[in-house]
Amino acid sequence: MSEPAVEVKNLTKVFSLGLKKDYVVAVDNLSFEVKAGEVYGLIGPNGSGKSTTMKVVLGLMAASKGSAKVFGLDSGDIRARNEIGFLPENPYFYKHLSGAETLRFYGKLCGMKGAALKDRIGELLKLVDLEGAANRRLGGYSKGMLQRIGLAQSLIQNPRLVILDEPTAGVDPVGSRQIRDLIMRLRDEGYTVFLCSHLLEQVQEVCDRVGIIFKGRMRREGTLDELIEIENQTSMTIENATPELIAEINELIRSRAGARVVEEGHSRTSLEHLFIQIAERSREEKS
Amino acid sequence: MSDTPNAPAESAPRTTPRGAGKSVPIFSIGRVYTIASSTVTQLVRMKTFYFLLAFALVVVAVGNFNIPATPAKELSMIKKVAFGTMDIFAWLFAIVATALLIPKDVEDRTLYTILSKPVRRIEYLLGKLGGVLSVIAISLVAMYAICAVVIFSRESLFVAAEYDSMKASGQYTAAEIEEQLSLIQQQGLRAELGIAVLASFFKASVVAAVTIFLSTFASSSLFTIIVSILLFLIGHAHHMASSFWLDESGNSVVVQMMVKVIKILIPNYQLFSFSEGIVQGEAVVAALVWQMGGLTAGYLVVFLLLSLLVFVDKEF
Repeated sequence: MSEPAVEVKNLTKVFSLGLKKDYVVAVDNLSFEVKAGEVYGLIGPNGSGKSTTMKVVLGLMAASKGSAKVFGLDSGDIRARNEIGFLPENPYFYKHLSGAETLRFYGKLCGMKGAALKDRIGELLKLVDLEGAANRRLGGYSKGMLQRIGLAQSLIQNPRLVILDEPTAGVDPVGSRQIRDLIMRLRDEGYTVFLCSHLLEQVQEVCDRVGIIFKGRMRREGTLDELIEIENQTSMTIENATPELIAEINELIRSRAGARVVEEGHSRTSLEHLFIQIAERSREEKS
Repeated sequence: MSDTPNAPAESAPRTTPRGAGKSVPIFSIGRVYTIASSTVTQLVRMKTFYFLLAFALVVVAVGNFNIPATPAKELSMIKKVAFGTMDIFAWLFAIVATALLIPKDVEDRTLYTILSKPVRRIEYLLGKLGGVLSVIAISLVAMYAICAVVIFSRESLFVAAEYDSMKASGQYTAAEIEEQLSLIQQQGLRAELGIAVLASFFKASVVAAVTIFLSTFASSSLFTIIVSILLFLIGHAHHMASSFWLDESGNSVVVQMMVKVIKILIPNYQLFSFSEGIVQGEAVVAALVWQMGGLTAGYLVVFLLLSLLVFVDKEF
């Protein structure tokens, strides 16, 4: 069995409040693993301890109790950071730098230089579709563009693990979809992705496994199918069914003891899908 | 990535895989340089050099002000004002620029992305300090260049006028004219003035180191700026505090101890005032310059270590 990308064991993080003896338990005896090569989503409402857990994994915070390991290395060990790419929520990079300069800055911090760094910057700008804005300062970037340059920054040293904190927060549906596509591509390429979000639809689309955290504790964990399936219900989607066929099916179901139709109607797309379709169509019409 | 949501998947480019256990050097001058050069770019692009325009205006205005005094005194006055202004601009810039850097990185979460790369916290602090010191050095050189142009042009003007006037009167020998001109030149542009600029740099460096220490635990840039200015003012009162509280036998032991502690904790900025004598034409003692360089280095090391003590375990 391969080494887990992230291994959190009995993690507890307590914050003291000022000089008083009050304290807040942000993360409470949390344990989970992110397997190498999977997309793991940690979901929970605001203040549930997601970001604190991430910060401990990143080594930006120390655990009050328990441990966090990245590819077998303690998260406080600086070597672990060679293998982590991190995109914070609402990333504000240096606005005075251009997109290419930002990637160069982070690349150099990772010890990259020369032609290798130059080539990598070119590849990543292409990947996040920012080649045209490479020399524009980040001060002039839109929210979605900032998010994408942030993602490119997180991949600069080619880490094995990419940690994304609310990667689509504040991004419009089209931009959000682009980021989701990119996360899926990263998984296809063998990257391990660990993301925190409270946008359930997003998590449902991209994650292999999900952990649900509430008040610092893990409430449920498993594969998406395990978590969302309703074991005693089955759904069918039929195309071009005549009213007669529907009536026949209903009759058949009624004739079987214990079986009943719970819901019937036309399949629906999500509002987000509809919005994207309209946006695409408008763009095609324009071009 | 394509703008189309269902665009065909393009592979995420990967370079040679790195090992999780890849060693990270204990200290990397390359990373310090990267952070320092980024800090310089940041301060330059924040248009901080605009203050040089204000400085130029002050110096040019003083240079063209007609003071009813001898040429030598007038030159001395120009130098005093110009170098005094340069000194104020240098330490004020050191405080404001340094106070903005770390709290802004924390507030903007830029620090998260930097420290989540294999960057040690001492490298980050050194890089930030190095960047500020580089900008201070560049500013001082630019301000010195402005001063030099103004002083030299006034000096040339005075020398030419004095020579013409003495020559025209026909009452002075060549030796007397030479002596009078050398008196003016003594208050003009001399190489020793460079040492006065160095003294301002030493002082601004210590101010920047103190400010970086404060900004490692301060909650805002404003707090850092105010406390740094307060410490700067207190740092100019070392001698006064000693003579008032330590030399007076009537003061309690507690007060004397407190003054001693403050004297240790707050740098004695009065020591850096040796540049005033140089500006006034006094001879430069090389040993003193070395001593001040050593003292500056000592303060930098102490305040960097203190900053690291606070910053190394700081949680973000």
